[in-house]
Amino acid sequence: MILLFLISGLFLGWSLGANDAANVFGSAVGSKMVSFRKAAIIASIFVILGAVIQGAGASDTLGRLGAVNAIGGSFTVALAAAITVYIMTKFGLPVSTTQAIVGAIIGWNLFTGNHTDGRTLTRIVSTWISGPVLGAVFAVLLYIILKTIKKNSSLHLIRFESYIRTGLLIVGAFGAYSLGANNIANVMGVFVPAFNLQDLNMGLFTLSSAQQLFLLGGLAIAAGILTYSKKVMETVGNNIVELSSEAALVTVLALTMVLFIFSSTWLSSVFIKFGLPPIPMVPVSSSQVIIGCVIGIGLYKGARNINFRILGEISAGWIATPIFSGLLAFVSLFFVKNIFGIEVGRLTESVPDVTIQNKQATLANPHISDIMQYLILGLLVTGIIVLLYYYLLERKKKIEFQKSEEKFWRNIK
Amino acid sequence: MAVFTRTTKNLILKIDEFFDNIELGLLVFREGVKAYLEKDMETFNRHIRKVELLESNADKLQRSIENEMITHSILPQHRSEVSSLIDSLDEIIDTIKSSLNEFSIEMPDIPASLNHNFVSIMEASVCAGEELIPAARAYFKSPYTVREKLLKVYYFESETDKVSRNTTRIIFQEMKDLDLAHKAHLRYIIHHIENISDNAQKAADLLSAMAIKIVM
Repeated sequence: MILLFLISGLFLGWSLGANDAANVFGSAVGSKMVSFRKAAIIASIFVILGAVIQGAGASDTLGRLGAVNAIGGSFTVALAAAITVYIMTKFGLPVSTTQAIVGAIIGWNLFTGNHTDGRTLTRIVSTWISGPVLGAVFAVLLYIILKTIKKNSSLHLIRFESYIRTGLLIVGAFGAYSLGANNIANVMGVFVPAFNLQDLNMGLFTLSSAQQLFLLGGLAIAAGILTYSKKVMETVGNNIVELSSEAALVTVLALTMVLFIFSSTWLSSVFIKFGLPPIPMVPVSSSQVIIGCVIGIGLYKGARNINFRILGEISAGWIATPIFSGLLAFVSLFFVKNIFGIEVGRLTESVPDVTIQNKQATLANPHISDIMQYLILGLLVTGIIVLLYYYLLERKKKIEFQKSEEKFWRNIK
Repeated sequence: MAVFTRTTKNLILKIDEFFDNIELGLLVFREGVKAYLEKDMETFNRHIRKVELLESNADKLQRSIENEMITHSILPQHRSEVSSLIDSLDEIIDTIKSSLNEFSIEMPDIPASLNHNFVSIMEASVCAGEELIPAARAYFKSPYTVREKLLKVYYFESETDKVSRNTTRIIFQEMKDLDLAHKAHLRYIIHHIENISDNAQKAADLLSAMAIKIVM
């Protein structure tokens, strides 16, 4: 039963994959430099790696906003956010999963009477502004640098494009990794305080309780990318402003840098070492950052080709998302508690401390850890089989094409 | 990933080879027309065979370049323009081939007094084509220099028009001893030589727009 509650988180992960993860490769796919299939496979692999290896930082911040302390509450909060993201995605709007989950957590705080930490909320909301601005600044600077290199290098256009294409794949992979590291908190953050699983020994490495949840979330994100992200990729890539191939590389690189800055504990410690203030570990909205990057380049190029109507629709989505998600969470929590009689959370005395919350976490039945182990292994094996199938399918296509080419040139001769 | 395969290198080589074909075609046309005017039919026929070979090779390269660009998704945003450019350059070598064939089949009787005029038209027209090739090469390597290179194409195109207009005037107004059919035939041949510079101008217009798009 307890594992069933995770379904809403997995649904949210799927929505994030379908929506936010598309931002990483949207400009590459939109400018037709990288095929959707190649982008989806690379993004899926690296988003999982990022989530498992580096997902803890941003998750703590979200926990401070409101540590959902009952599994029923986690389920409802994640479900409300997932439904919000799904509806927005259905309309082709690049909505922010961060905003959806923040709205839903505030809805939970209001319902259970818990205090919403103003400082944490301010920190998160400030990234909704600073993220896109930083993205725009990075994008413009990188664009100028790349243009200067192009002008002075006298590289052949085709070779330059092939470098850009390779760059898009490498930066996209890094971007997907950073997205997994930064945004897994949105998907599984609310479940971390409520779950306490036994460590899972995978032979080469061991996964902690949180990492197991992050791995599951990562797999859900990957499923979202593979099955439903194509439409949003095209919106990001082409609708706001038509992107050139170098602009596509620049937007992905700028997004990656912003995501990395807000999820790298290493970078934050380097800042502290040099006497600078630490970087807040906050789940940033990749949708907002990428749109900031695209607009930055559009403004640099003269703002004539920016589609302001679509920009307006997206902005309306940004305001509507946290409000809609918060309301949905509040109403859903009411139904779950009063109609189904499921515990959705309790009032905590002080500002929640995530480490304490972890200690108070629901101790799961030892069998749950075993089930999780089989579930994770099963999903990983399925993933590998799917990748192999894709690879063989591509190989078969390539061989068939080569044969038809040879036949064509033989006939011409 | 095109960078890790030979696709990029091969495609660059093919595009360069295509340009070489057009450049050689123009040179052979120049020599072919001169040989015809000097009544050296053996050399003229050799040049026709050479142009046919170059034209056929250019066609094959054109198909191969377009094919590779589509199948390996190379230059997705400029692909249609690059294809159009290659197509318009191919038009030039097609015109060269058909012009030389017309000389060969119709054997126009060009009065010796007009030899110099015909050489001038041919030179100006071929120069327009020749100046186009460095501009087309520059599109791929230094697009910022394309437009300045194209100025010469426009100059030689207008020169061709000027010289051919004068020659046509001489044929119709000063050469009273030629019959009308002969005059019309000469005008028709001039028009065909002119087609080379006209096609070069069309390609130059396209290249100019492509260069603006790429540097913006």
